[in-house]
Amino acid sequence: MPPLVRDTIAKFIENEGHRVDVSPLDEEGGITEILFRTRGQVFSITTYENNPAIYTISTAYEVPEWARESRQNADILRQVELDHPDVRFVLAHDGALFVATSEEEPGSPEAFTRAFWDTVGRVREAGSHCVERILDRSESKAAADKFISSFMKGER
Amino acid sequence: MNEDQLIALEGALDDEGLLFTRDDDEDAFRIAFKSEGDRYFIVSYRDDPNFVMIGSGWALPTEIELADANDVANALNVRKKFVKTAVWEDERDVLFTVELCVTSTDEVRPHFGRLLDVLRDTAVEFFEELR
Repeated sequence: MPPLVRDTIAKFIENEGHRVDVSPLDEEGGITEILFRTRGQVFSITTYENNPAIYTISTAYEVPEWARESRQNADILRQVELDHPDVRFVLAHDGALFVATSEEEPGSPEAFTRAFWDTVGRVREAGSHCVERILDRSESKAAADKFISSFMKGER
Repeated sequence: MNEDQLIALEGALDDEGLLFTRDDDEDAFRIAFKSEGDRYFIVSYRDDPNFVMIGSGWALPTEIELADANDVANALNVRKKFVKTAVWEDERDVLFTVELCVTSTDEVRPHFGRLLDVLRDTAVEFFEELR
């Protein structure tokens, strides 16, 4: 009997030096979430025993409270998706965070582990790009608001 | 001095979600760990408790000229914060180390992630420059 997909992936991540937290999401369906941390960021891998060819990899980023303008941020997520077409972004918790997700179809657990850190890096890069864009836009808007406010007061 | 100076850095590794092993001997406290599959070490000497070193060592591929490696190492040493890059010519190895003087390794714990990032980035840049 071949090893469970979740065990193969969890063991790989552990062998690479990282603690893992393995949580079955759907025992009957053979769906499992594996959590691990790297470079200060928690990543979630979803494995499917019924289909060892596909995997989901996700990570969440907190949006600073002062930058939580949901409509604008939703627009930014859509724009960044154009630059990173293999990563999807979803706002969650009333805009307090967004989740970056990549659905991978490497074909086998071995193929998934071969490209594992590249995939993690790709999702991280896309997520960081999003954070930068959200912060840039919020800071620009804050600066513009400050300028307009000063102008209206006749200080400029 | 026989007090274990690396306990706080075990905590830092826990904070980073990394597994590690200890390999202490009569001269030094040592931790070995991996991050994203790459190997790192931490050393503190029993007779010099204020010194702590975090590092990684890599073999130089045979196609890389030692002179080129030394040039790139020197350029990185000029430019990079924290990290010392040294080519060990006899062994054809390159070492990336962060060497710190501390009263306690507790001081390092909150900055451990940053130091690990800069070690990792320096190694990547070293080999990219030589490619």
